[in-house]
Amino acid sequence: MIKKLLLLVFLSLPSLLVAQNRTVSGKVTGADDNLGIPGASVLVQGTTKGVATDADGNFSLELQAGETVLIISSIGYKTQTVALGERTSIDVVLESDAVSLQEVVVIGYGTVRKSDLTGSVSSIRGKELNTVPSINPMQSLQGKIAGVQVASSSGAPGAGTYVRIRGIGTFNDSSPIYVVDGVILQNIDYLNSADIESMEVLKDASATAIYGARGANGVIIVTTKKGATSGNNFPTINLTVDYSVQQLAKKIDLLNGREYAIVRNKINPGTFNNIDALPNTDWQDEIFRTAPIQNYQVSIAGGSEKFQYYTSFGYFKQDGIISKSEYERVSLKFNNILHLSKDVRLGSNLSFTPFTQQNTNGNSVFVVYRAWPTITPFQSDGSYSEVPGVGNVLADIDNTNSFNSGLRSVNNIYAEVDFLKGFTFKTSFGADIEYGKSRSYTPIFFVSPQQQNATDDLGKGYSDRIDWLWENTVNYQKEMGVHRVNAVVGYTLQESSSENVFLGAQNLLRPGEDFWYVNIFPNLVSPNFATNSVGSNFSMISYLARANYTYNDRYLFTATFRRDGSSKFTESNRYANFPSFAVGWNAINESFMQNNKTFSNLKVRASWGTIGNEKINYQRQYSLVQNGINALFGQDVLYSGATYGVSGNPNLKWETTEQIDIGIEAGFLNDRLTAELDYYHRTTSDILIDLPVPGYYGNGDGAVITFNAGEVLNKGFELNLGWNSEVGELKYRVGLVGTTIHNEVLKVSGTGESDEELVGLFNGRQVSRTVPGLPIGSFFGYNVLGVFQNASELSAYPHLSNTEVGDLKFEDVNNDGILNSEDRTNLGSPIPTYLFGLNLNLSYKNFDFTSDFQGQGGNKIFNGKEIIRPDPYNFESRYLNFWNGDGTSNSEPRPSNGGVNYEPSSRYIYDGSFIRLRNISLGYTLPQALVDKGGMKSVRAYVRITNLFTISDFTGYTPEIVSGNPVLNAIDVATYPVPRIFSVGLNMTF
Amino acid sequence: MVMKKRKLFQLIWLFLFIPLACEDFLEKPPQGELTQANFPLTAGDALLATNAVYNTMRESNFNSGLFPLHDIMSDDANKGSNPDDAAASIGPFDQFEHVKTEPAILRWWNTLYKAVRRANVVIERVPLIAMDETLRNRYIGEAKFLRAFFYFDLVRAWGGVPMLVDIEPKILPRSTQDEIYDLIEEDLLFAITALPEKSQYGSADLGRASKGAAKALLAKVYLFRGNFADAATYSLEVINSGVYNLEPDFDNANSVLGEQGVESVFEVASFGEEGLDNGGNQYGNVQGVRGTPNRGWGFNRPTLSLRNSFEPGDPRLESTVIFLGEVLDGVIIAGDGITPDASIDSHGQAEIECYNQKVWTPGTNVPPSFGHNRRFIRFSDVLLIAAEALNENNNSAQALVHLNRVRQRAREGNNAILADIATTDKDQLRDIILQERRVELAMEGHRFWDLVRTNKATSVLGPLGFISGTHELLPIPQTEIDLSQGALAQNPGWEN
Repeated sequence: MIKKLLLLVFLSLPSLLVAQNRTVSGKVTGADDNLGIPGASVLVQGTTKGVATDADGNFSLELQAGETVLIISSIGYKTQTVALGERTSIDVVLESDAVSLQEVVVIGYGTVRKSDLTGSVSSIRGKELNTVPSINPMQSLQGKIAGVQVASSSGAPGAGTYVRIRGIGTFNDSSPIYVVDGVILQNIDYLNSADIESMEVLKDASATAIYGARGANGVIIVTTKKGATSGNNFPTINLTVDYSVQQLAKKIDLLNGREYAIVRNKINPGTFNNIDALPNTDWQDEIFRTAPIQNYQVSIAGGSEKFQYYTSFGYFKQDGIISKSEYERVSLKFNNILHLSKDVRLGSNLSFTPFTQQNTNGNSVFVVYRAWPTITPFQSDGSYSEVPGVGNVLADIDNTNSFNSGLRSVNNIYAEVDFLKGFTFKTSFGADIEYGKSRSYTPIFFVSPQQQNATDDLGKGYSDRIDWLWENTVNYQKEMGVHRVNAVVGYTLQESSSENVFLGAQNLLRPGEDFWYVNIFPNLVSPNFATNSVGSNFSMISYLARANYTYNDRYLFTATFRRDGSSKFTESNRYANFPSFAVGWNAINESFMQNNKTFSNLKVRASWGTIGNEKINYQRQYSLVQNGINALFGQDVLYSGATYGVSGNPNLKWETTEQIDIGIEAGFLNDRLTAELDYYHRTTSDILIDLPVPGYYGNGDGAVITFNAGEVLNKGFELNLGWNSEVGELKYRVGLVGTTIHNEVLKVSGTGESDEELVGLFNGRQVSRTVPGLPIGSFFGYNVLGVFQNASELSAYPHLSNTEVGDLKFEDVNNDGILNSEDRTNLGSPIPTYLFGLNLNLSYKNFDFTSDFQGQGGNKIFNGKEIIRPDPYNFESRYLNFWNGDGTSNSEPRPSNGGVNYEPSSRYIYDGSFIRLRNISLGYTLPQALVDKGGMKSVRAYVRITNLFTISDFTGYTPEIVSGNPVLNAIDVATYPVPRIFSVGLNMTF
Repeated sequence: MVMKKRKLFQLIWLFLFIPLACEDFLEKPPQGELTQANFPLTAGDALLATNAVYNTMRESNFNSGLFPLHDIMSDDANKGSNPDDAAASIGPFDQFEHVKTEPAILRWWNTLYKAVRRANVVIERVPLIAMDETLRNRYIGEAKFLRAFFYFDLVRAWGGVPMLVDIEPKILPRSTQDEIYDLIEEDLLFAITALPEKSQYGSADLGRASKGAAKALLAKVYLFRGNFADAATYSLEVINSGVYNLEPDFDNANSVLGEQGVESVFEVASFGEEGLDNGGNQYGNVQGVRGTPNRGWGFNRPTLSLRNSFEPGDPRLESTVIFLGEVLDGVIIAGDGITPDASIDSHGQAEIECYNQKVWTPGTNVPPSFGHNRRFIRFSDVLLIAAEALNENNNSAQALVHLNRVRQRAREGNNAILADIATTDKDQLRDIILQERRVELAMEGHRFWDLVRTNKATSVLGPLGFISGTHELLPIPQTEIDLSQGALAQNPGWEN
C-alpha cells in the first residue's frame, strides 16, 4: 500500500515541476504495414516508468530531465532503443521479429509461449493472408507453410480449395478441420480474409490430439480480429478497395480445323474433302472471356478497458472467365468482448455471410476440348450449329440457368471467468448455420437430336444445416520459480443436422425467371419430383485434457488426452481415446550456450500421439431401404415400390493416425537466419473407404460399401528457412519452405476376402491401384515402348488382340510372351514427393515488393480427358505427328477413335512437376507527411499479379489437380481453368 | 463477495457434470429411411418389395447396358445412329471386336444382379410375414418368376455365372451352366403353382408375372436346353389355356394399342416420360427415330440382310422397318441430317438410314418414346416354340398347325402371300421355323440366341466376325474378375 502511495506521489510530481519536465509524444508503427501498433510498450530506460500506445500506436509520455532514452517494444517486433536528444516528438518504426513474431501461439483450447511449444505449429498473420483475391483465405497460403499443400483445381467463381497437411493420410476426405474463434468447421469459404488476425496450422500429434477424432488430417486455427483495449479515442477505420481482371492463363494446344481433318481422314478416309476450305473454330476463344473481381472492405475497430469491438463489412464479387458463372458475397463480422469485471468476460464473434452464385454449364470446358474445330458455332441463319458427339457448347451455356444462394452464419458466444488463482473457466457455444437455395431451369430448345430438351425443366432445392458445439473448459496457469504449468480440462458436445428439399417441375407457363416456381397443378411432374432427405445427422461427446510443464525455461513436457464418442458408429465401436506426449529442450537457455556466438536460438522437440478421423457419411453403418422404386402395371398405373438399397457396414470404427514428430529450431546471427526442420512419420490405420464390390452382390451398377480397409504411411521432412537483412535502405527477407512426402500404402484389406487392391475405375476402366508398397491411387496401366512400325515387329512382340501395325507397343512386363491385363504396371504416383515455396519480400523507402513462387514435383497426372472417346472428338496437337508408315513416328500411334491405343497406358501419364509465380506485387505507401495532411493514418496503393506463369510439362490448363477422392487423384477431366489475375488496390486507414 | 464466488463455483461444477447425463445424445437413427432389418415386415411392405423387382426391368442398363447388343451382334441389325455416335463403345459389337472391358457389358451384368437381389429380398423375407397366404405365395411366385427371367439372361449371355440366391452380399465362385438352369427350372415350377393366370389379374395388375408367363418362359428354357419334350408340353399348355391369342393386326403385337393385350405373355409397362422415376423406359428412345421427328438416338438399325429375308409381300417388313419418307401415325419420317441416307456398312452391305418400327410410339418428340412397353414374351413366340419342339419330337404335322397360325395372321387376309407351309421334312421344317422366328420376332432380341442355340451362329455370323468358341458368350466383365480376387474365371476365348 505504501508503495502505491509513493508511486502516486511520484506520478503527480512532474506536474509540479513543470520547468524541468517535457512531454514527448509520437507514434509506433510496424515496418511491414506502416500501421500503428497498439499496446506497444514505451519505457524510459533505467526506470519502470512507461506507457502503452493506444489503438493507433500513439503515445504521450512526460519525461523528467535526464530521461532521454526510450525503449520501445511489442510482441512480434524487435525492441528498439531510441535516444531522444532534444526532440519532443518521435515516430518509431518497429521491425518485425521473425522469431518472437510467434511468441505466443494459439493452440487448441488455449495459448502457449512459442518457446514452450512442444508441437509442430506454423503461424501466419497480417497481410500475408491477403495476397490472392479469393473467397477462400487458404488460397493465400499456397507455398507459404511447410507441410501444407493448398491446391485449387477449379477456377470457377466460388469453387473450393483442397488443403492437405503432411501428405494424404486417408483414402477418405483428407482435409483438415478449421477452428475459427473456437468453432469447429469443415471449411472457411465464408470467411473474409481481411477479418483474420492470425492462422495457426497444427501439424503434429502433440498439437492436434486435443481435437481427437477430428484432428488426424491437421487443424487450422483461425483467430479473427478484435478491437484493442487501450484505444480510448477515435476508432480505427480501415478501407480497402481491390479490383482485379482475370484471364485464361493458358490455352490447350488442340488441332485446328485443317489439322483435325487430316487426322480424321486418316481414321475415316473421305470424311472431309477440301480440307483447306474448312472452317476453323477455336472453341476455347468462343467461351473464355476476361472477367473482373471486385473486393471491398471496411472495418471499424476500437475499444476501452471495458469493451472491445471489431466490426467489418466486406463485399466480394467474382465474374467467371466463362459466361454465366459468378459469385457474389457480402460478409459482415461483429467481434465484441465485454469486460464485466476484472475476472469475468463475455464475448461474441458473429458473422453473417449472404452469397449468390451462378454456375455455368459444368461440362463446357470438356465439351470445348472435344468439339470439332471444323464446325462454326452458328449456322448462316444464326442458329446454333450441331457439333457431333459433344453438342454445341454455346447452346449448352445459353440453356443453362443454375443458381445457388444462401446465408451462412458462424457464431459463438462465450463467457470466461477467472477464479481462484490461475484458473479460468470458459463456456462457449458456437453454431455454424447455413441456409441454401438452388434454382435451375432448362428451357425447351433443339439444336440436334442429342442436344435438345423437349419439355422445360425446373429444379428447386432448399437446404438448411445447423452444426452446434458447446465447449466447457477450465484452464490453469501457474508459475512458481523455475516451474511453469499450463493445463486445461473440459468436455464438448456437438451435433450436426441438415435437411434438403428438392422440387422438380415441367411445363411452366412461361420460360422467364418470374415463372420459376413449382405448383402442384399443373406443373409438378410426379410425386417423385419432390424429395426430402437428411444430409447429416450425427453427434459427438468429447472429453479433453492437456498439461504443459516447463522447467527452468529449458525442459518442456506436454501430455494430451481426448476421448470421443460419435453417433456414426454402432455402440460397440462408439468411443475411442486419443493420447499424445511430447518433450522439448530449449538448448539455447542452457548455461553452456550463453557464450556461443553461432546460435541465437536452439530448440529440439519430439512428440508422439494418436488422432482420429471420422469424416464419413453418418449413415454408412446402416443397410438402408430404398424408396420410390416404382413399377407400372395395367395401362400405366404407377405403383410404389421399395427394396434393399446399398449394404452398410455395422462394424465400422474410427480411422486412427499415429504420428511421430521430431523437430529442431535454430536461429543464427542474431536470428538473421532462422531455420526449422521437422521429421514426421504418420501411420493411419483402419482407413474408412467406399470400395467397389462385385456386381453380383446385387447392389447395382457402381455401388460401393464402406470398410475399415487399410493402412497408410506418410513420412518426410519439413524445412522452413528465413533470411532477414538489409543493404542500406533496402530491406529484404527471403523465405524458403520445403516438404518431402513419402506416401505408402501399408495394407489394404478391402472386403476381408484376401483383397489387396483398391481399384480406381475411370470411364469404366482401371486407371489406378491402391496396393501395399505404392502411394495411394498410383496410376496403373500398360507401359508404352513405342509404336509397332511394321508387320514383322508386330508379329515378333506380344500384343493385345486387335493391335495393328501403327498401334502402341505395350511392354510385356512379366515376360511371359503374352500381352494381357497381367502386364499392366505401376505408372507413377499422383501425390507429389516434394512441395516448395520461395518467398521474397523487399522494401525500399516507401516501396514494397513481394514475389511468391510455389511448386511441387515427383507426381504424375493422368490426362483423363484424352481417353474418354465414345465418339470421334478433336485431339491435342501431338496427334498430328501420327505414325504414317514405317519409321515415321515411334511415339504417336496411327490415329483411331478407339481400340488399344486408348487403353490406360503411360501415353496418358504426364509429369506433374511445376513451378508457379503465384503472386507478385508492388506497393507504394504515401509519405506520412502527405497522409497526415489528408487526415489519414496511412495510405498504400499496390498492383499485383496472381498466377503470372506456371512452368510445367502438362498440356492441360493447370498441373495442380487434386481430387477429393485420393484413390482417383490427379486425373484431369478438363475442369474450369484457374485464371491469371491482375489486381490494383488501395488501402487506407483513418 | 464470498457468497457470490461460491455461487460461481457451483455453476461451474454444474457445467462440468452435464455430459454424464446425456448418453442418449449419441443415438442417431437414420431419418426418414428404413433399415433393411426392418423391411419387409408387413403385407404392405411385401407388395412394395415385389413391385420394386419389376422396376429394374425399366432401368436403361437392364436393356443389355442401354443398347440392344444382341440385335446389333446378330445379322439383323447394325449399330445405327450416325456413323460416329458411340463408334468406340457400341461399334465393336457390330463386328465382334468387343473386349472384356466394355462398359456396356459391365453395366448390364451389374443391373441384372441388382434385379436378382431384389427378387431375393422377396423370396427370403416375404415368407416370414404373417399375411394372406395366397397373396404371399403370389408375391413369392412373382419374385421367383422374375429371378428365373433374370438368370435366363445371365446364363445365355455369360454361361455359368455366380449364383446369388440370398440377400447377403458375399464373394461367389461361378456356378456351372447346368446349376443355373436348374435354379431357373426350380423357380419357374414354383411360379407355375403359385401364380394366377393373366386372366385372373385385375386390369390394373396386368403385366405381373402369371402362370402362363411362367409356363412360356419354362418352355423356352427347355428349348434352349434341347429338352424338346418338356418344351412342347409347357408351350402347348399356354396355347391351350385359352388366355392368349394373336393380335389380328401384327402391328399391335408391339404397338401402344396392343399393350397388355391378348398376345402379350410378358411385357414391362412403361410410361411416356423421360426418367425411371417417372415411369419411362429408355429402350424405345435408344432405338427411336433420329432427327426429324426427334424420337431418339436411332441405334439398332435393320440390315439389308434382314430386309431381304422377308418373303415377297410379307407385310411384316413394313411393320418392322421405318423407312425414310414413310408416314407413321401422321408423322413424316425425314430422319437425321448427319447420318448418310445410304452407305456401305462394315460388312460390305448396303446400309440405308432406317429405324426399328417395333419400338415406335406415336408422337413427334422424345418423351413418348420412353413409353414403349418392351415385349419379352409374345404368344407368337410361344407358338413357334411349340412348332419347333414338336418338330424336334418328330411331330411335324402338329408343328405345322402352330407355324401356320403365325403365318396366317401375318398375311392379313391376303392369300397371295405367305402360303401355308406343308412340308413335314424335319430338317427342312427346322430351317423354316427358324426363318419364321427371324421375321416374326425380328428386332426383338431373339435372333442372336436362336442362331447360337441352333449351332448356326458360325455359318451365319462368321462373315460378320463371329468366332466359334468365343463369341457365343460375352466376356465376364474384367472388373468383376479384378474385384473377385481369383474367385471368377474368364469365359473361354476371352482370357487375354
